[in-house]
Amino acid sequence: MTASRLARVLAVYLAAVLALGIVVVRTYALGTPERPVVLASVWSAGKLVARAEVAAVGAHAAEVDRAMSEAPSPALVYETVTGESRIVTKPHWLFAISLVPGRDGVMARMNGKTAYVTPDDLLARQAYDHGVNNEAIGLAAGVDVQLLLAMLSERLHASARDIADAAVIRRIRVERTVPSAPAPVRITADNMTHAMVRDATLDIAHYLARSLDGEGRFRYMVDATENRTLSGYDWPRHAGATYFLAQAAALSGNADLRYAALRAAARLRDQGLSTCGEYKCIGQEDVVEIGSSSLAVIAFVEIVRTGIDESYRPLIADLSRFLRSQQRADGEFMHQYDRGARHPIDVQFVYFTGEASLALARSYLLSKGTEDRDAARRALAYLVGPAWQFFGNRYYFGEEHWTCQVMADLVESPSDPALDFCVRWQRFGRRMQHTEGDSPQDTDGALGMDPVITPRLTPVASRCEAAVATLDAATRLGLPQAERGAIDRQTRRALAFLLRHQFRPGPAHLFADPAAVHGAIPGSPVDFQLRIDYAQHAGSAMIRWLQVTGDAAP
Amino acid sequence: MRIPRLFAALDLANAILVGLGVFVGLPDRWLAVDLPAAVLMALFALTAIGLLARTGWAQKVARATAALALGLGLLLIALLALGASYLVGIYGPVGQGGALIYVLIIALAIPYLVALPVAQLLWFSRAGAGQ
Repeated sequence: MTASRLARVLAVYLAAVLALGIVVVRTYALGTPERPVVLASVWSAGKLVARAEVAAVGAHAAEVDRAMSEAPSPALVYETVTGESRIVTKPHWLFAISLVPGRDGVMARMNGKTAYVTPDDLLARQAYDHGVNNEAIGLAAGVDVQLLLAMLSERLHASARDIADAAVIRRIRVERTVPSAPAPVRITADNMTHAMVRDATLDIAHYLARSLDGEGRFRYMVDATENRTLSGYDWPRHAGATYFLAQAAALSGNADLRYAALRAAARLRDQGLSTCGEYKCIGQEDVVEIGSSSLAVIAFVEIVRTGIDESYRPLIADLSRFLRSQQRADGEFMHQYDRGARHPIDVQFVYFTGEASLALARSYLLSKGTEDRDAARRALAYLVGPAWQFFGNRYYFGEEHWTCQVMADLVESPSDPALDFCVRWQRFGRRMQHTEGDSPQDTDGALGMDPVITPRLTPVASRCEAAVATLDAATRLGLPQAERGAIDRQTRRALAFLLRHQFRPGPAHLFADPAAVHGAIPGSPVDFQLRIDYAQHAGSAMIRWLQVTGDAAP
Repeated sequence: MRIPRLFAALDLANAILVGLGVFVGLPDRWLAVDLPAAVLMALFALTAIGLLARTGWAQKVARATAALALGLGLLLIALLALGASYLVGIYGPVGQGGALIYVLIIALAIPYLVALPVAQLLWFSRAGAGQ
């Protein structure tokens, strides 16, 4: 083959790929609906009880009116189809990622019948982000196609297989209107106020306080759509939630929150405490991990520091001694302790070193014990030094979000390497932050690299805790205004993202008991599972922001 | 004789890179990708051996391997480009991050599955015509 002939072949190829690309974009982009469609739905306790196509928002239909008068606590919701497009339905993985989570549904036609599965239907069944699961890389994206086909099957009275093979399925984009609850003003970094953040914080705290039972145990994980408590529990997250309740009680002076913090702390002390050799520690298993003791110290310090209960002071000293005994000479911690064999196990897991460091730093700030201070400083030096030493470490940072909180507690000089580490981490975080237009979802301020995978709220919240701590140190030590302004802006955008997706009340018509989950922080804009650490990270970030920006006592 | 040896070394490296990229880098097994990758690896290795041993069939195999690699490379780039187009159609603006990922993946394929096969195809076509 000659060079000129090969060049011609490649030129034709490039032109063909370009042309095909343009055709594909135009074919699958949303266009004007074939005809105006408005769906009126009646929801009761999170379940769809009636639906009818109506002429316009506000129009009536007999079955909808009947359901509104008969169903308990009915909610009328209109969904207007604003766009429509073709869609690829095979293979199923491609079908799965062809719907924008939370915004797109489908219309299916078969045997002269038309059925709709709207975003609300998919949210109510928690079908988004369950389509493509790859546990090896922790990826969950796209709609659950089997569930979607099953819903169409119910509505078209045909088998899911027949629908998959024979129905004409098109993507629809809808806008939701809830007549009884006008859409609130969209919270952004620019219009967010201290009062908004304070109210949001206290709503999170009251959600957690409501979820605490008489024995001081939280509803650890809740499915908001059914108000069902899911299985699982762990002490570190219990302790983290206790810490936040103590913070919120101090912020508000609210007796219910104070009592809730005390109940949760008492459970941690009475049910979690055990011995690890000559020391006290948290955890009843044969092999305990230091994360439980670390977060317990952080919670107990907050309870003592804010004057809620002084009696935890001796326990803080005991647990801090245990943590110090787990520290190696280089500053790193041994993350496990074998209670039967009475010796530490020198293994490391993500987060634990940062948690132990913060626990010792907080213990030092409370008691001024130099042993805790020195141990925390050694750990911090290890975290920002040897623990993150590799070629390219200036361009990549992990998820560890405790280090910069330790830094803010201990740093005294603007040239401290820990402060430099945290400032660089925030720069990395800004590059990872979605801006307006990066995704068809409402994700400004979230973290992510692509529009397909829905950003989760907790990584935003936990990094925001670290960002606000960095802002605190940067302000105190007089870093340049440009740097401080950039960190301030990124924290505001992150907090605004959290506030927009907090259940205040959220899509209440999709919840079995909206009052039970009011104030909660969901897993993501389309994942309505609520775990106690989702609330803790968001709430703690908000409280620290209020303190740093001058609206709350530290 | 230096150029064929250089191609042999590059083909060997390509066989290893395709193997690493597909069988180590990709998190799942999929025959549509695994089979062409395995064939390509085998052909790259065979070409390298033939060129190093200066066999009579080496240049013919090198041309065939280069043509197949180029075809698969162009197919891969086309599929990635059309995949990106589909996502742009569905999701609208994909943001700098998303676009960057696609550009980087396409850029990664170009040296191994386009540039090298083109060079090899041209070189051995010319060498074949000279003989």
